[in-house]
Amino acid sequence: MRKLIAFFRRFRVFLVFIMLQLFALGSYFSLVQYPRTKFFNTSNELSGTLLEWEREITKYFYLDEANREVIAENAALSRRIPKNYISVDSKTAIIDDTIHHLAYEKLPATVINSTYQHKNNFFTIDAGSLKGVEKKMGVVSSEGAVGIVYDVSDHYAVVKSMLTKTINISAFVKGSNAHGLIKYLEHDPRRVKLTGISNDIRIKKGARIFTRGSGGYFPQGILIGKVEDKEAIEGKPLWDITVRLEQDMRKLRYVYVLKNIHQKELEELEGQYEDLQ
Amino acid sequence: MKAFLRHIGRMVLFILAQGLLFGQLEFGYGIHPMIYPMFILLLPFDMRPIPLMLTAFFTGLGVDFFMNTFGLHASAAVFVAYFRPELYRLFSPRDGYDMLKEPTLAEWGVSWYFKVAGITLLIHHLWFFILEYFSFSSWTIVLRNTILSVVVSLLICFAIQILFLKKPKRI
Repeated sequence: MRKLIAFFRRFRVFLVFIMLQLFALGSYFSLVQYPRTKFFNTSNELSGTLLEWEREITKYFYLDEANREVIAENAALSRRIPKNYISVDSKTAIIDDTIHHLAYEKLPATVINSTYQHKNNFFTIDAGSLKGVEKKMGVVSSEGAVGIVYDVSDHYAVVKSMLTKTINISAFVKGSNAHGLIKYLEHDPRRVKLTGISNDIRIKKGARIFTRGSGGYFPQGILIGKVEDKEAIEGKPLWDITVRLEQDMRKLRYVYVLKNIHQKELEELEGQYEDLQ
Repeated sequence: MKAFLRHIGRMVLFILAQGLLFGQLEFGYGIHPMIYPMFILLLPFDMRPIPLMLTAFFTGLGVDFFMNTFGLHASAAVFVAYFRPELYRLFSPRDGYDMLKEPTLAEWGVSWYFKVAGITLLIHHLWFFILEYFSFSSWTIVLRNTILSVVVSLLICFAIQILFLKKPKRI
């Protein structure tokens, strides 16, 4: 016993070092493996508030660009207002119908902190559970899909950006309807990879890539990017497709969180399906 | 007591500077300036290793709260704190350190500070980027990020030392 105590006394500095490292790295690697970390991120109130103050100061530098984006989005939306259409046939222009249900609600939010140079990138938005943001909701900008909500506090949420190794958004290529998973494998903030597409499927360069809507995070048909390059992977019957993202993740300022109204219904239904298999 | 409060004040300042200013700068080319290892170097000479590591751990944790890194900075900070006593012993002057003086550039000279801060930043950044990428295949990226970031961090550290940490006047 005395020897044991002597041993601990001798190596206590090293033991404390190992303990602290285990604690810190345990938290870090659990993030990479499983989404269960609660600590050490900006969804806590203190750093969230400070980052928001910083954002209050720096937002004026981006106003011009933000305005331009809003104008472009407004123009695109106003083209879809029924008032702007002239009916050619009076019988077909019925707008107030009950056939269409609203499937996704859009909650606006501002990005208050973001990174894009790391291997796994996250950004913080100023909308939290009080505004109705929940984990695993999809996040889009006016250009296209940008991420999935990872952790939520009362007033803030941390979003796993498109530039995260395990983002795994299900996507399809327009024209061929082949679908695969989006992954961030190279460290270039403009490009991601589309994996899992068999190389007997013809993919054109410049073909647009949309979300497939599986899991209910995104509706079907949200733009992600365009096929920039494709190569055959050696030894596997798969394409290695490089996708150029539509939204420049380095300039992300304003986003919308997508709340799927039918999420629970979808999960219940797909849960049953897994039981059967 | 006064010295204790001064170090707490510095800790808060360094965390805020890292989280709100230097962590937000985006230079490109994989450059992430990290200046909080300088705070660990600034702690008193006679601080015992365990309090030193705990202080470093909480500093790193503070940075993690801002940077969404989930404990990576805390790990790197503890790593640096673990090696600090050994490093200071390695570069100690012939008759040892004067415990009453602070470990700053102004007190101990440019060449001493360049060696100590350079090595500290190098092992800190190397540990940080190795853990961040955590694969053999990206060793070129790790190396590039480490070398470029160390240069930028070192320049910032020198600037801070020269601007803010002047030699106290003695009678």
